[in-house]
Amino acid sequence: MNVDETLSAPLADLSPTTVVPPPWLKMLIQIARNCLVVTVILALLALVFGSILRPALEAVNVNEELTALLSWLLIAAIPPALYLTVGFTARTLRNAHPARALVVALLAATLVYGATLLWNAAFPAAQAAQGQPSLEMTFAQADSGVVIESIVAGSAAEQAGLRVGDVITAIRRESIDLAALQSRIEEEPLGTPFRLRVQRDGEEFQVTVNSIASATGAGNAALSRAAAGRAVALVVTAVGLLVPFNWLPYLLLGVTLLPLLLGYTWLIVATFSQETHGLLPVDSTGSLGGLTLSNWDFLTEVSRRGSVWTYTLNSFAIAVIMTAALLVLCSMAAYALSRMEFRGRRLFLSFTLILHGFPAVTLLIPIYLVLLNLGALPIIGEYIGFNTLGGIALVEIAFGMPFGVWLMKGFFDNISWDMERSALIDGANRWRTFWEIILPQIRPGLFALGIFSFVGGWNTYLIPATFSTGTRIANLPVYIQQLLGETNPINWNEIAAIGLFQMIPILILFVFAQEYLLNIYSGGSKGSS
Amino acid sequence: MHCAPTATGTFLGMGMAAVTTTQSKRTSSGRPNLTAYLFLMPAVVLVVLFFLIPTILVLYISMTNLTSANFTADIAQMEFIGFANFTTLFNDQFAQKILFNTLFYVLVTMAIFNVGASLFVSLLTTHINRRASFVFRALWLLPRITAGTVYIMMWRRMIADPPFGILNQALGAVGGTPITGSEYVWTFVVIVNGMIGMSFGMVIFTAAIESISKDIMNAALVDGSTMLQRIRYIILPLLRWPLLFVISYQTLSLLTSYEQILLLTNGGPGLYQTEVWALTAYHRALSNYFGNAQWGYGSAFAVVLVVIGVLLAALYMRVFRFRDLVAEPKIETL
Amino acid sequence: MKVDIEQLNKSFGTVVAVHDLNLDIRAGEFVAFLGPSGCGKTTTLLMIAGIYKPTGGVIRFGERVVNTVQPRDRNIGMVFQSYALYPHMSVFENIAYPLKLKGVSKDEQRVRVQRSADVMGIGDLLHRRPGQLSGGQQQRVALGRALVKEPDVLLFDEPLSNLDARLRLTMRGEIKALQKRLGITSIYVTHDQVEALTMADRIAVMNEGLLEAYDTPDDLYDHPKTLFIASFVGNPPMNILPIQAALEGDAVILQNDALRLPVRSERALKAAQQHGDLLMGVRPEDVTLSADGALCGEVFVVEPLGREDMIDVRIGQHRLAALVTTEKRIRAGNRVRLDINADKLQFFDPASKRSILWT
Repeated sequence: MNVDETLSAPLADLSPTTVVPPPWLKMLIQIARNCLVVTVILALLALVFGSILRPALEAVNVNEELTALLSWLLIAAIPPALYLTVGFTARTLRNAHPARALVVALLAATLVYGATLLWNAAFPAAQAAQGQPSLEMTFAQADSGVVIESIVAGSAAEQAGLRVGDVITAIRRESIDLAALQSRIEEEPLGTPFRLRVQRDGEEFQVTVNSIASATGAGNAALSRAAAGRAVALVVTAVGLLVPFNWLPYLLLGVTLLPLLLGYTWLIVATFSQETHGLLPVDSTGSLGGLTLSNWDFLTEVSRRGSVWTYTLNSFAIAVIMTAALLVLCSMAAYALSRMEFRGRRLFLSFTLILHGFPAVTLLIPIYLVLLNLGALPIIGEYIGFNTLGGIALVEIAFGMPFGVWLMKGFFDNISWDMERSALIDGANRWRTFWEIILPQIRPGLFALGIFSFVGGWNTYLIPATFSTGTRIANLPVYIQQLLGETNPINWNEIAAIGLFQMIPILILFVFAQEYLLNIYSGGSKGSS
Repeated sequence: MHCAPTATGTFLGMGMAAVTTTQSKRTSSGRPNLTAYLFLMPAVVLVVLFFLIPTILVLYISMTNLTSANFTADIAQMEFIGFANFTTLFNDQFAQKILFNTLFYVLVTMAIFNVGASLFVSLLTTHINRRASFVFRALWLLPRITAGTVYIMMWRRMIADPPFGILNQALGAVGGTPITGSEYVWTFVVIVNGMIGMSFGMVIFTAAIESISKDIMNAALVDGSTMLQRIRYIILPLLRWPLLFVISYQTLSLLTSYEQILLLTNGGPGLYQTEVWALTAYHRALSNYFGNAQWGYGSAFAVVLVVIGVLLAALYMRVFRFRDLVAEPKIETL
Repeated sequence: MKVDIEQLNKSFGTVVAVHDLNLDIRAGEFVAFLGPSGCGKTTTLLMIAGIYKPTGGVIRFGERVVNTVQPRDRNIGMVFQSYALYPHMSVFENIAYPLKLKGVSKDEQRVRVQRSADVMGIGDLLHRRPGQLSGGQQQRVALGRALVKEPDVLLFDEPLSNLDARLRLTMRGEIKALQKRLGITSIYVTHDQVEALTMADRIAVMNEGLLEAYDTPDDLYDHPKTLFIASFVGNPPMNILPIQAALEGDAVILQNDALRLPVRSERALKAAQQHGDLLMGVRPEDVTLSADGALCGEVFVVEPLGREDMIDVRIGQHRLAALVTTEKRIRAGNRVRLDINADKLQFFDPASKRSILWT
């Protein structure tokens, strides 16, 4: 009935009654709008970092360079971002009218490029800020000194009275040659006054010229740079227009991961080479090559600091004690919290809640005293005090516990109540139910906590570094740090090998248990799996 | 009750639960249950030894003038000086600088990495091939499971002077001028810590995005939305609680962790350039950096963090874990 | 073993789950707890099992008060809706677990597990894991585990609701037969009235924590004491119509705004003594097509049930469901005349929702 009417009504409205602008014009408008949005966003961010955040931070005496860097990066990113925007916007037209899309995109890119050129011309300071200091002259070496080959018209140098053909012999009283002059100009900050001793027609006089940032090169240089810039602009636009969109996430992910990949690549390369320059293995003379296995000699040699195996054993002991203890402790406590009814349950739960987020490392100072006092206990004090493996393990266990209890509680919470009821009815007490029925069900949880604890214990640095002295109970990370802190030249490549050696168990876990790792490192914000 | 099939199911629910659940509180708080107490005992002993006692102890030490000169492990022999350490702290011009350093460090690292980059990466990895996304996410975990000393060693080589540094090698290849680590010290402190910290948010955001019902996404697809529109109008609004959770959790974690800074810059170069609050407490009391360890004064620094930590932890755990708290056991003690 | 429940109460916080429940279960009897979800039937069962602690009242096994007796000391067997098999144990280990906990020797365990498994027809599955079994097989294992320790009381918590319809039918018969053969006192919780009606010796109908009725299936069906029971027991459910009854000569006139029905029956006479509004109940099978029927209405919906059709007839603003043979080929929109079996009518007081006929 009236269903049809209501359906057809909006369709009628859509039918073109007014003149629609041609698609390429619409596209250009859209491009202009998007470019404006991108520019405004980037510029605003740059403004926030560079002109608001940075002075504010300086005002409170924070000596940082990050905000300036970010501001600069954002501004530098505007042109490429615009070209990409142009390309992306034109994509919507790509499939229907490939040729038209290309033309519109290239046109828009050229316009954007023109706009950036105009901007640079209008605000040379913006560009000059990145330019090299210059006296706005070009020089050549002559016998008597440095000959001025050309002077920028209207420059400070010209106004100071310098002419082409004048010979600069010295700055102040320091006589100079071409190389020295040029390096002086580059090294001194912008605006430095140079008092030049100049000879003209046998006459000698002094002229003071301030260095300023070099403007865009004149003539041919400017033209060729413009051409190159335009080519880049067109290429970036084409990338935005043509590159399959589904590549982009991979590209971006790859770029963000790059530092990590480089770092780990270095670790592996360094391990097998005498020295490294960047990522390249080099020999002692600095030329490519120098692959060697000698960095791994530490495995068999006993150095001044003892055998690496002692440290490995300490690492292993801490990790294993910690893992075993946490598995038992956390699953027991979590079981009680998750499955049992008792007076004070709410109190215990709230307490566990707070502990889970509690910044335990802030307690290292008083824990030192606790360890000293524990060490003073008769008999057991020898094993759990300051500077003992037991003491370190205890602190590690305590620090790992709140997280572990939460993790395990999550797993226990998801076990069927019927299963546990069934066990009780079958004749088990709570203890047997826990061991024989429930624990086997949460094997994934135990595995997760086990890996977490082992990785934590194996990698721990702060606690053993703080609560042990000397090398007797130092673990591998502490050993590595001791080597890195040596005053003699650091043997990076051997330490890299020890580092890689330390990472072997971790890498094995990484290969075989990524999914567990991914799950646990959400920080116990989940528990179920 | 336990109806959440996935991690994030529980997770997304948490926040809502905090707001909507005012479930009936059980009036009977249960009875003393010996078995339960036995199960809890080992954990309780450790909590008392390494959380409860130290918390009280740090409060006390912060009110003594304990230094390495008059050091004693016996509480009774420490000299009580009231709030003198705190007065010193508030008038310490370096403390002020360190405070702002810390704020800068926490906020910037959080904004760029722990929230910004992790959200960015989660959005990317949830829009690509599943297998590939898994590889990327796993790789992002590497910094977190690498020993701090090894990780920092890598970074020190990354930013080393030419010809050794990786970054300077790359810069040299494109004709740039070499940079030094000390010139861009904060930049690297932030990056080094951020690259570890971002995996936390990444895992949580990814799980949250993946748990968004396929029906909702399909409905949006049918409605003809673009990917950016889906992110803006569907994903981000649904990420509100995870976002809040990550922010609150990571604030605390950035505020109190200092191992990487200790290893990378040790607070330098120069006077306190990258020193943060938690590191100061450590330096004052536990490192011989200053020659004379000032336990009392260092504890005063620590106390500030402990107080903030307890408050924040209590607050956000109350907000985010409320539902876990009210779940009652379904087997009773006879 | 007889089970007595006296004044049993259970509340969770302010929520009352079970209120003043009194039940006696004779030795060897099969009792079903029937009710909609949340009515307190499972809570009661768990109190009998010793999983929940009663807030008040007494549970007796024989003469022994078991309120504070641990579940393991009650010698009960229980079958859960989720089966609750231990997934990390083989079928053998699952069934042997109660024996192992009792300290029965390995040899005897083997003999008794085999016997129990044979009874359940799973003797050849003993080495499988629960995950490798079908739902029906898992249910048999769960039953075998509950039976192996020769319990005094068997508890069932909706054991068949996870099975498909066919299997449910088979298992129903098997459990019933097994229970009769072994003579173990059994309590069976279900929300499925067909299960309760076909299996139980007596049914305790519960609603909102209260015991509505405790009777044999026949009594519940034929003599419902409350409106709740009348409408809850029986499928398709009983028609309930508001009505007034008046004596007219030796006939009783049942009428409301849309119908007028003269009947002669003892039940109607009883109803006629109550003046004012009544609720009349009539089961669909007691409504028949009849050319000279007193009721006339339009068929609104026809639901084919296979052997019969259920038709939904509109009489004025009232609806009446009736079961008719498929041969009649009734279609929606037909006008039909209906008659009611006056000897099967039920009458309820609309205020108290209790039956006028039975107390």
